[in-house]
Amino acid sequence: MILTVTLNPTLDKFYWVDRLPLSLERSQDEILIRARRSSTAAGGKGINVSIFLSCMGVETVAMGFLAGHIGQIILRDLLEQGVTANFVWIEGESRTNVTIIERGKEYHPVKIHEEGPRVPFHAQEEFLKKYRRMLRRVEYVVLAGAIPPGMPVGIYRDLTAEAKRAGVKVVVHAGGMPLWEAIQAAPFFVKPDVREELVVGEMPVRTEEEIIMAGKKVLEMGVEACLISHHVTGDILFTPEGIWDLEARVPLTAFKNLVGADDALVGGVLYRLVQGDSLLEAVRFGMAAAVASAEVEPKLCLSRAVIENEMRRVEVIPKEGG
Amino acid sequence: MKARELMRRDITSVEPDTPVYAAIYIMEQAGLSTLPVLDEEGRLVGIITEHDLIHAALPEYFEMLQSISFLPNLNQLRDRLREMAPKPVGEFMVEPLFVREDDEDLHIADLLIKRRIKQIPVVDGEGHLVGVIRRIDILSRLVR
Repeated sequence: MILTVTLNPTLDKFYWVDRLPLSLERSQDEILIRARRSSTAAGGKGINVSIFLSCMGVETVAMGFLAGHIGQIILRDLLEQGVTANFVWIEGESRTNVTIIERGKEYHPVKIHEEGPRVPFHAQEEFLKKYRRMLRRVEYVVLAGAIPPGMPVGIYRDLTAEAKRAGVKVVVHAGGMPLWEAIQAAPFFVKPDVREELVVGEMPVRTEEEIIMAGKKVLEMGVEACLISHHVTGDILFTPEGIWDLEARVPLTAFKNLVGADDALVGGVLYRLVQGDSLLEAVRFGMAAAVASAEVEPKLCLSRAVIENEMRRVEVIPKEGG
Repeated sequence: MKARELMRRDITSVEPDTPVYAAIYIMEQAGLSTLPVLDEEGRLVGIITEHDLIHAALPEYFEMLQSISFLPNLNQLRDRLREMAPKPVGEFMVEPLFVREDDEDLHIADLLIKRRIKQIPVVDGEGHLVGVIRRIDILSRLVR
């Protein structure tokens, strides 16, 4: 079983529009944008990973904090997808994240992300109790996404240390300081989220040279494998055995919705790891899952056949070792 | 159909030392009328229901009267609930009725009807809570 932790779940709301106005700063006119289509889905990085895994037939349990009416919608969606839910309920309202996707600019969506409800200390304690209990029953734990208000920046470091003590492998898919703190506890696998800022800790990851320097540093800190995005269709994998470039030969114009693609990647890696595949092969499948997900309007492509077909477009090029 | 195909994989739960006020809060927020009570290993050790809590809060003579319409107002119930609020759920939980993942729908429906319960926990071979089945889950399956 795989446990995913989403401390700040969201209801993802998508709008597909034909055209966005060039500027929102017109002083007199009200701006009306008509959506061609819309959809909602439970979200947050860990939740996306759980939904992907559940649809691939892997038993998974999702944990974190839910609140209010939006929390109930998220829970219902998760249960409908076959994910086991073990959340702590808090006051307030779980957040809604809005993505507006303009026709022809699908790879460049407009996003509005809410902050999410504050997590009181007693709820954090309750979560820790549940987390420790679940660690006894799982093989992997995925710590993913943003930290909600009220929680310490080092929470992923502490959760990683707890899981390692319980003999559970940890995957961290986050960004900023929460990721850097987690790296201090040496998780098994790290997928930095560099969408907001092209840094890992304080190391910039803009160029290939910078990425290689950062990836090597992360391994030196005890992480067993690290996958850093180079550009939209390319990632670099670092392991003690070598460094590989993974490149998906897909035009950006093929993409319909990039939200959730990197979560499909993490889900794909885990799906293949629990099947007994090598890490390199698992990452190749993960890349294919990300590409397949970006090519469909729903957040995640949940067809194994389609993903396997995409694998032929993912090229693996050894850079060092391997 | 087996329990594992019918169940909701919602393992929202409390522990025996969870205060009653926290259990009521979880029931309200999660929209549940029953909460499984788990030990440290995640094994089912009891259940706490709205009914159990109301029953515990009512004066003992209520057993004979059968209706709270005999109470002058809800003050007694409120005061007693406030007394109970900080106490651990373990004092009010009852022995759990449960089914196993492989149990058949007929057996589950029989339990829900005969025992007049709204939902029943589902456990795996080691007694870990893995989900719950509500009466509505069975009804909606049958009507489809």
